[in-house]
Amino acid sequence: MTTKPRLATRLMVHAVVYAAALTMLLPFLWMVLTSLKTADQATQSPTLGTLLPSDPQWGNYAEAMRSAGLMQFYKMSLGVAVVTTVLAVAHNALAGYAFAKLRFAGKRILFVATLATMMLPAQVFFLFAYVICSRLGYIDDFRGLVVPFLASGFGVFYMRQAVAAVPDALLEAARLDGMADTEIFWVIIRPIIWPAISALAIFTFMNSWNSFFWPLVIIDSNENKTLPLAIAELAAGKYVQSWPIIMAAATILVMPLIVVFFLAQGAFIRGVALSGMKE
Amino acid sequence: MNQTANTYRLIAFPMLILMVFTLIPTVLGMGLSLFDWAGGSDMPRYVGLAHFRAMASEETMGFALVNTLGYVALSVPPTIVLAFLLAVAVDADWFVGRAVVRAVIFMPTIVSIVAIGFVWRWVLDDQSGLLSSGLRAAGVADPPNWLIDGRWPMLWIILVSVWRGVGFCLVLYLAALASVNRNLYEAAAIDGASRSQVLRYITWPSVRPMTLFLTITTVIAALQVFDLVYIMTPGKENQYTTVLNLYLYRQFSDFANFGYAAAIGVVIFGITLLVTAGQLGWVRLRGQTV
Repeated sequence: MTTKPRLATRLMVHAVVYAAALTMLLPFLWMVLTSLKTADQATQSPTLGTLLPSDPQWGNYAEAMRSAGLMQFYKMSLGVAVVTTVLAVAHNALAGYAFAKLRFAGKRILFVATLATMMLPAQVFFLFAYVICSRLGYIDDFRGLVVPFLASGFGVFYMRQAVAAVPDALLEAARLDGMADTEIFWVIIRPIIWPAISALAIFTFMNSWNSFFWPLVIIDSNENKTLPLAIAELAAGKYVQSWPIIMAAATILVMPLIVVFFLAQGAFIRGVALSGMKE
Repeated sequence: MNQTANTYRLIAFPMLILMVFTLIPTVLGMGLSLFDWAGGSDMPRYVGLAHFRAMASEETMGFALVNTLGYVALSVPPTIVLAFLLAVAVDADWFVGRAVVRAVIFMPTIVSIVAIGFVWRWVLDDQSGLLSSGLRAAGVADPPNWLIDGRWPMLWIILVSVWRGVGFCLVLYLAALASVNRNLYEAAAIDGASRSQVLRYITWPSVRPMTLFLTITTVIAALQVFDLVYIMTPGKENQYTTVLNLYLYRQFSDFANFGYAAAIGVVIFGITLLVTAGQLGWVRLRGQTV
């Protein structure tokens, strides 16, 4: 870089950037602070003295779990996200491997079709995806939240790029040793492309965990709702009216992901940076 | 051959999923825009371009179009410019705490947009939200009802989307800045270039491919905005907040107007293609003249 700017400039740049970072945290801080207040305290005008809850109402969290039945939604969201992530990453990786390293008739046309799915707009295909799901009996059903996402054009493409970087010589050697394709994938390729696999897994998990539009379209009954749907209804005042309880519920929704993010932010940032390539 | 059969076993299921839930529905969905259909056992009825003609004279569709384009125009440039400036600042070798700042600014990106919209609704609550009560404490007698009154809701939706989008662009800009040739900076220093000259004539052009990439992807995502508007104006979107995708959802979900919904989807897709092609063309044109 060029010479260091003057101290005053450097201080000012730091101040501006840290202020921006604080702006990112502020709404979440406000959420957590509210979640620890009584309903009365939350609706009082905050003065400096009452900004912090004087006696934290930890019971609000238990109350949120109970009155909104959050545990049920949590289980659903976690189940959907875990099953989707495991199966989708496995399928995408195997298909990516086939497209990168194996020869078969129709490979080119199938790969082009796979790429095409990345560009097709959800606004157009969700209608018939819904109709097809209803014919399959997937409406208002766990399978409807999982099955359509068990492969993605982007996932296949990303895995293909990762596998393509593995040297052919390694695979030739394994073939001469008499290994089958799936064995080669598991023993040789999987360890090498593991960083790409974990990035795709994080990306897939977050997409599933945060997914809103599709669950909104196909889920009706309470017991099949995922957390984002439940939170949207909380926001509309469906289960409870008290802001501290609602904010406790919101905290329960976002905190696990935030904690995991700060523990593994490198992998997360790689995983999410992928999403830019997708859109 | 056995070998080939095995290969097909690897790709059969993923290909089936993509075919059944994306490719075929897209083709059928485009076709559906020429039909009237209420779904279920109702038979689709061919209406030709009637939906598109109806759209042209429909008031709500006009609002939705204007609001969507306004949202794109007002949310994308600030997101990109802010992300670039923050990235340059954080990237400087004298900057202290790069990793922390990057992580914190990136954080809203990983949080569900539903939770984001929801937390902001509490911040903007007209009775006891942080902003309004803060303003009242500061002597503003009657602050607007931020998520109800006139154009305020859309303004806040735009601000929140910039607030959320900056981190993602920042991270990608940091990646791009890491690969800028450091010799260019040294050459500029020797030539006595000022800091703003370096920023304008070296840094900004060096990351231009990333800027193009971010602009195109952010614009495409913004044209499809749905979640944030839905959650910040629950069931109460008005002429200032209705966007195309939300209008499509209402036609589908509230009115079972499948054909019309499909036609709106086709319009969104068409606009997306046009705008993207326009951006690429503009860059090519400039590339030739600059």
